Order: sequence, then C-alpha cells, then structure tokens
Amino acid sequence: MRIPFFSMFVSSPFDALQEHAEKAKECSWAFQQAMECYASPRCHTFDEHRQEVIRFEHEADEIKRRIRGHLPKGVMLPIEKFQLFRYLREQDAVVDAVQESLKWLSFRSDAGIPETVEKELFLLVDAVIEPIEGLANMVEEARKYFKSFSEKQRRKVKDIIRSIRQMEHDADQREHALIEKVFAAESDCVSVFYFVRLAETIGSIADHAENTADMMRAMLAK
Amino acid sequence: MGSELVVLIGGFVIGFYMAWNIGANDVANSMASAVGARAITLRQAILIAGILNILGAALLGSHVTDTIRKGIVSPEVLSDPDIALMGALSALLSASLWVSFSTWRSLPVSTTHSIVGSMVGFGIAMGGFSVINWPVLGAVVLSWVISPVFSLIIGFFLFKAILRFVLSGQDPFAVALRRSPWFIGIAVLVVVMSFLFKTPLGKDLSLSTPAAALISLAIAAAIGFAGRRLILWRLSDEQRLRLGAEAIFRRIQIGTSCYVALAQGANDVANAIGPLAVIYFLVKKGTLGSQVPVPFFLLVFGGAGIALGIAMGGPRVIRTVGSRITTLSNTRGFSVDFSAATTVLVASKLGLPVSTTHAAVGGVMGVGLARGFEAVNFGIILQIMLYWVLTVPVAALTCMGIFKFLCCVV
Repeated sequence: MRIPFFSMFVSSPFDALQEHAEKAKECSWAFQQAMECYASPRCHTFDEHRQEVIRFEHEADEIKRRIRGHLPKGVMLPIEKFQLFRYLREQDAVVDAVQESLKWLSFRSDAGIPETVEKELFLLVDAVIEPIEGLANMVEEARKYFKSFSEKQRRKVKDIIRSIRQMEHDADQREHALIEKVFAAESDCVSVFYFVRLAETIGSIADHAENTADMMRAMLAK
Repeated sequence: MGSELVVLIGGFVIGFYMAWNIGANDVANSMASAVGARAITLRQAILIAGILNILGAALLGSHVTDTIRKGIVSPEVLSDPDIALMGALSALLSASLWVSFSTWRSLPVSTTHSIVGSMVGFGIAMGGFSVINWPVLGAVVLSWVISPVFSLIIGFFLFKAILRFVLSGQDPFAVALRRSPWFIGIAVLVVVMSFLFKTPLGKDLSLSTPAAALISLAIAAAIGFAGRRLILWRLSDEQRLRLGAEAIFRRIQIGTSCYVALAQGANDVANAIGPLAVIYFLVKKGTLGSQVPVPFFLLVFGGAGIALGIAMGGPRVIRTVGSRITTLSNTRGFSVDFSAATTVLVASKLGLPVSTTHAAVGGVMGVGLARGFEAVNFGIILQIMLYWVLTVPVAALTCMGIFKFLCCVV
C-alpha cells in the first residue's frame, strides 16, 4: 500500500555515507598489511592483500553509485545535494588512491624495499592511515550534528576536521622525508623514480582525506 | 416506504464502509510517525486511535451538516425528496467505490476530496452546471491548497523553534523539560477552544468569548504543567542519557498522536456521515432544509466505523510504513503531528473539508524545509497533487453514472 505521507521518506544517504567511510577504513587496513607483506621477504601473500583492497574499492564504488542513484529529484536533505556529492567524490578518491598506491607498488613486484628507505616508508604509510580512520569518526559525529544541530556537536566535528588537517600536514612531512632519503640513498635512477612516485602516490591518500574533511567543513557552514 | 427503507439500510452499510475505509487508510497519518519514532507500540496506537477517533467524531464532529457539504449544490435541486434520496445514495456509493479502487491500486487519494467530487457530480446530474455554487466550490478547493501550506508554515516554524530553543542549547534535555508545558499547552488550547466554541455542549455552557478564552487558557496551562510531571514519570536515567531531549518529545508525542486522532475523527467523520445524514433525514421527515441536523448516534456510528477500520486495517498499514521511516525522530514526529492536527482542527472548525493526509504532508514539508530530515522526497508532492486534481472529476463522473443508473432502474 502506498501512502503519500510515507512515500515522502526516502532512505537516508547518511547511512550509506557512513558505510562508505567504514569501507575506506577497512581498505586502509588491508593496504597496510599489503605494504608490510611487500617489505617482508617471508610473506608471499601480497597479491591476496592487494586483491582484498581491490575488492574493498569495488564495494566502496557500489555504495557511491547507490547513494547517487537513490536521491531522486526534489529530495530535501539537511545539506545541499551537490555538497554531498562533492564530499562523496573526495571520500571515494581516498579509496582510489589507496588502490593506486598498491598498483604502482606491484609494477616492480620482485624488487622489495631497501632497508635504507624502509623506516621512512612505513612512517608515511602509518601517517596516511590515521586520517582515514578519522574520516569514519567524523561522519558518525557529523550525522549526530545534522540530527540535533547543537553547537556543542558542531564544535566536536570541527575539532575532528582540524585534527585530520594536522594529520595530513604530518603525512606531508613524512613524504618529504622519504623523498629526501630516496635521493640520498639511491643512485639507480629507475629506483629513484619508482620510490619518489610511490611516496607521492601514498602521500596523495592523505591529501584526499584532508579534502574530504574540508568538504565536511563546507557542509557544516551555517 | 419499502424502497426508502432499502435506501436507508443501503446508506448505513455504505456509510459504514466509507468510515471503515477512512480508518483503515488514514490512520497511518496520525499514528505511524509515533510508532516509527518508537513513542508508542503498535497495539497502543490502534487502541488510542480507535478510541480518540470515536471521541473526536462524536464530540467535535459537525453536528449540523449543511446540505451537500457547505452549499456546493444549491438547495432547490433537493426539493424532490425521492431524487435527493437517490442523489445522496449515489454520492456515498461513488465516493466509496473510488476510495476502494484507489486503495486497491495504491493511489494516494483523499476521502474528503472523493466525497466533495461525488457531491458535485450529483448536483450536475440533477440540475446541470448551473446548480453548482462555483464560488463555494472554489473556496473549498482553495482550502485544499491553503491547508497544506498552513500546515507547512506551522511545521517549519515549530521545528525551527525547537532547534533554536531546545536542541542547539547546552543541555537540551533540561530545556525541553522546562519548555514542555508550552508545547503541551498550545495543543490543549486548540482542542479546548474548538470544543467550547463550536460544539453543542460548548453552546449549552453559553460562555462569552473572553470567558471561554480564559477558561481554555487555564485548562491548557493546568494540563501543560501536569504534563511535565507525567513526562518524568518512570523516565529512566538510561533513557535520559541515551536520548536527551528526544526522550521528552517521545513522551509528548504520545499526546500529539492523540491530538491527531481526535482532529481526524472530528474532520473525517462527516465524509462518511454527511450523505447518510441526508438520507436518514429524508426518510424520517420527507423533506430537506438547507441544513440537516446530524443526530449524535450517527456521529458515534461513523466514529465506530472509523475505529473498526483502524483495528482491522491499521496494523498492516502502520507496520509497512512505520519501519520505513527510521529518520523520523521524536522532535520531528512531534512537529509533523502538531502542525497537521492544528491545521485539520482549525479548518474543520471553520467548516472547510480539508484532507488530513494533505495536512500531514504539509507538516513533513515544513520540517523538511527547516532541514529537519536526513532525506525527504519533495518530488512526490507533484504526484500527490495529480491524484488530488483527478479525484474530484473521477468521483463526480462516477456519481453521475450511478445516479442516472438508479433513476432508470427505480
């Protein structure tokens, strides 16, 4: 039975937005495992971890399409619809960047990670995981804000956004440190190109996470 | 007399069926938001809606039905009692048929609009287009536009006020509790005022306007403050912490659901009972004035029909829709209920036949425009409006067909 009063309520995009953020988080954890496996000579499951990341990316894509496809014309949200789409595009770009990093890594599957750059590389990897974990938390708290519109809750979300920005800044520093180290330690130009590009690709994960947070800040604007 | 008795029995059966339909379909407007927001259980909803619809119909329903809904059809055409009898029966029948058809096909139509459409058809069939009082019909149609807009405005400002004064504060729970007498009091005020001003019981008390207003204010204040105490009754700390201000509104929503059910009974009972009253009066007295008194028992009869419809059709409707509206929290549900009920009650007291569904839709739009919902589909409005425009001519044509058929047969 269709009752006009209830056909007005469509499923909330915020559920899916949160699901998407969680997917990005899981994807980043799989990415970390893949990186560790790549660096360890004893680990032979790099491809499996990579496939896992690819699977997460597909699932995240599906969620993205679901959100976009299920907001008919004339839907009213607490925020502008185009803002939501812009936010979603950036959050999805985080997952894409994670996948891209592993793809680049896999182009030289037998090279391994030289001990000279290993420490800096893993510092960078850890530094880009943190802001992704922050995103899921941010979406959860923002959702609470859009329910209550309380100033206290708004400040809480803004604090999370600020901390994500700080994390991106830290990740930038790590990226620079890694690139410096690569130039100092490597003499083979193929290796230099390979690691510099790797550092930039991994670094871009944090950039997208920061962009996502900035989009959230725009949604919070009164 | 034999054929008149048949018509009378037929009128009672169809009138009851119409009331049953109203109960089965429109109960969702009043109760599903409260059930969806977990303010009350399904069983409580059915019980409350049933009882209050009867009360609303009997106590606040129109005791005088102007012949054919507020003079849409000029009274001269009703001078022949046999024709008038036939006309009232066909109007009732065609409205019931259209409502049943749309229930079967899941079309969002309004019972109020079907009956008005049928009345128009009956008038045209009897005396041509000239007997239709177009300005009156225009006013009725205008009220269909005004009522959702009115409800929208109330919903918008009420929710904005809740946001501004309650939710965005430092301690929403405390503020909600402190201001709860206001929210309860205003609703009570509207109910008491409409009770005192427009019902026979209110007229018997023969109070002057200032005295009535003063009494209403006093009762509203008393119930408002008593309501605040009731809200705290058996409210656990766990609920208080988990839900905050929503816990307060969850309690208040029990009251607003009652409010909607009451308003619905008062407004919608005339849809089923109006034509039946005409038939009843004709059979008893043989002639018809420009106004027909509606006996108390007919109102109760209509209310009972609505209540039975609620009891039989309600659970399915509420269950289907109650689970779908997870985004409807208690503050939102309260705002929607409040604006819809106030609109319907005020309109019904002004004698304008408005649709409870459209008032509820207006309320949702108001809260949606105040950015109260995570997602609400405004696109559906166009669809609703299409069926709303369609209802009147379809019901009118059906009624004309039935009327002609009955005239040929008898």
